[in-house]
Amino acid sequence: MDDSIQNILICGIGGQGVVLAGKIISLAAFESGKDIKTSEVHGMSQRGGSVSTHIRYGKKIFSPLIPENEATAIISFDIYETARYIRLFANEKTFIISSEHGKIPQWTPKNKNDRIKNGIAVSEEDIANILRSNFKSLYLIDDKRLALDLGNIKVSNIILLGILSCLSDIKKEIWLKAIEKNIPPKTADLNIKAFLTGRNYCENLQKL
Amino acid sequence: MKYDNFTDSHNSGSSDKLLTGNEAIALGARKAGVDIATGYPGTPSSEILPFLAKFKSAAVNWSINEKTALEIAAGASIGFKRSMFTTKHVGLNVASDPLMTLAITGVRGGLVIVTADDPGMHSSQNEQDNRLYAKFAKIPMLEPSDSEECFNFTADAFEISEKFDTPVILRTTTRISHSRSIVSNLDVLGVTSLINYDYHNSDYPNSHLNNNLNDHLHSNLHNRPYVKDIEKFVMAPVFARNRHKLAIKRLEYLTDFSNNSGINKIEYNSPDFGIITSGISYQYAKEIVPYASFLKLSFSYPVPDNLIKEFVGNVKNVVVIEELEPFIQDEISSLGINLKGKEYFPRCGELTPDLVKLGLAEAGFLDVRNVPNAPNKYNKYIKSGFDDPENILETLPPRLPVLCSGCPHTAVFYALKKLRVPVMGDIGCYTLGAMPPLSAMDSCISMGLAFGAAQGLSIAKSSHKKTVGIMGDSTFFHSGITSLIDAKYNNISFTAIILDNATTAMTGGQDHPGTGKNLSLNQSISGKIDIKKIIEGIGISEIYTIDPYDYNETFKVLKNALESENLNAVITNRPCVLYPKKLDCGKKFEVLEGCLGCDLCMQIGCPSILASRSSGNLGDKRIPFIDASCIGCSICKDICIFNFIREIKINR
Repeated sequence: MDDSIQNILICGIGGQGVVLAGKIISLAAFESGKDIKTSEVHGMSQRGGSVSTHIRYGKKIFSPLIPENEATAIISFDIYETARYIRLFANEKTFIISSEHGKIPQWTPKNKNDRIKNGIAVSEEDIANILRSNFKSLYLIDDKRLALDLGNIKVSNIILLGILSCLSDIKKEIWLKAIEKNIPPKTADLNIKAFLTGRNYCENLQKL
Repeated sequence: MKYDNFTDSHNSGSSDKLLTGNEAIALGARKAGVDIATGYPGTPSSEILPFLAKFKSAAVNWSINEKTALEIAAGASIGFKRSMFTTKHVGLNVASDPLMTLAITGVRGGLVIVTADDPGMHSSQNEQDNRLYAKFAKIPMLEPSDSEECFNFTADAFEISEKFDTPVILRTTTRISHSRSIVSNLDVLGVTSLINYDYHNSDYPNSHLNNNLNDHLHSNLHNRPYVKDIEKFVMAPVFARNRHKLAIKRLEYLTDFSNNSGINKIEYNSPDFGIITSGISYQYAKEIVPYASFLKLSFSYPVPDNLIKEFVGNVKNVVVIEELEPFIQDEISSLGINLKGKEYFPRCGELTPDLVKLGLAEAGFLDVRNVPNAPNKYNKYIKSGFDDPENILETLPPRLPVLCSGCPHTAVFYALKKLRVPVMGDIGCYTLGAMPPLSAMDSCISMGLAFGAAQGLSIAKSSHKKTVGIMGDSTFFHSGITSLIDAKYNNISFTAIILDNATTAMTGGQDHPGTGKNLSLNQSISGKIDIKKIIEGIGISEIYTIDPYDYNETFKVLKNALESENLNAVITNRPCVLYPKKLDCGKKFEVLEGCLGCDLCMQIGCPSILASRSSGNLGDKRIPFIDASCIGCSICKDICIFNFIREIKINR
């Protein structure tokens, strides 16, 4: 990522920590002295619906919303949501950092044809293939396994943040501080481990 | 909480903060020395009062509804104190009765009304444009375009209110209230107003307040002892006629202020392309066509007629960019100047940078073929799009919001679905009960509508079944009580269900009279007001209290209540699973092998019950499984009549 305007879109399902991840990234960008604007969603959409947070930072920012096709990076906690948002916001250079897992919306029609019509026929693997053939800077992560290795499935969002941090021009110390400021103190060790897991994963890939 | 502790500043040690619009509004009010702040929760306005309450510098509390909240603020103003009322757009409808007459009485202490509109209806039942209230009530309006302006304009609004003897509307939208941006110079004590109050015309109205206007700390004004002034505050016709004249005269002074105070600004750049805009639309336009000239309306009612005439005279092509209604456009056309705006920018939904870009391209302000990354509408000219041969992504399932895993509303809606009765519904999380698969609520129109509509539908006799009215506890306090009294008064029979989850859940878990707590102290301030006793007090004797985690009992009680010919009430007694804290019953459930895939348990819409991907040799049938997000409410176990759902026994 260079030092022009950075547009980071975070997406997932309400309740997965999209707003928290947004707070951490925006505090990190703010602490490194950038102009920054973010936009988040509250209220009804948070009840298990599709949610996104926009973060933009750089020298001078006007719009808090990312223009279409101009995301620098998309972080997604659900692969179906990745698919939903790349259509609108990604271009071929966008860094895609996505969980390889996804939750099919729980209620789907009984009739098979209706299911196909409603997209239930799309599998996680189908989407993964589309991502692989379209994006060179793709980080498709088995975040569930990495999080369970650390002992808590809930930190998978922080693992993905760790990957973003390694691609960003913001210093590691600032990221760590931003995480500590936004989480309950007793979970600090776990969250920092999760962050470093993501960051190391990315650093190792870059060494190859 | 100390002022400096809520978020971090730049390393440079300056006083810059990264704040949401709502947080900045709270700090602006604090800077102005607000004494009393009231409101009723509503997205996107809900975070202002809790943030302000943290500083313990003012009496800050939730009210039972918006009308009462504004009336409390009015009383405080009559008592020479500065007061603020916060609401979402539709809440101002509820408060519009006091608003329209406060507009002519004017104020003593500054009175600021914060209305947070929701273009695009992220979390609302309509997208009305509350700028029209400023014109309707003949009161001034400020429209911030980022958090810094939220902070400054809120502080300024109190000054304007006292100077012009009027309530002031501060109007935000979702993208202002819920966006974060940097606020600099958060100097709480010093007044750093950008407004020039010393321009020539400052003699309105000749009231007692003007003596203090140069004293920005207003220590004299705000410490005055109560005196009565019936010509100002008793709006009997004899006095109201005079006050209305004053309010119309006031518009002339406000227009003068709008032109000359410096708050509305012209930025001259291109002599060919000019934009008149306000709020978030300014930011979008500024990013897309930085070379254009701008007239930014920060004080957008009354509009600055002279500035508009000057701008249109100096710039060749001028368009108006605004979200929702053609408010500015119409105001300008009433000056005899016809500009285009809504011809290029949609009247429905919220604007986005891309919609603004499209509109500006249509208006000839930019050649879209030369714009890299132009909006998707033009993709076919610019790039080939994704490699998506089967268009598989077109068929992605929509992911709509749902009731939480273990939500106590679930069983009630599932039972109502089985009972096939007409259900007049209301506004809250339970509005989601209208959506598939529950599909058990037939109306959602306004706060507190359910019991009134249930009465009307019962009188209409268009269904042979007994009608249900259903609402939550906070909604019942907000405006359900009155319509339940009306039903008893008129002796009309229906079943009133109150989903009492002991919080205002959809807006983030705010307290209400039924919790007995409020913001100021975050501890009990009164006894909990008992919903059942209120209903008994109305004279309704057939009242059932049910545990919605017991599905079979819930169904039985609802069936009985609906067979009874009386006006009766059913109250649920399980707390929200999210607020005030996340609940977990400590149990887990599983679907046993042998499940036939009958789909029954899938029909309660629990987000923890998922369809397996492989359906084996059962053809089209989906075999459910229960994932780790289950909190153990056990409703699905009651629903599965074949006993294929069972609690997982953990041996320790």
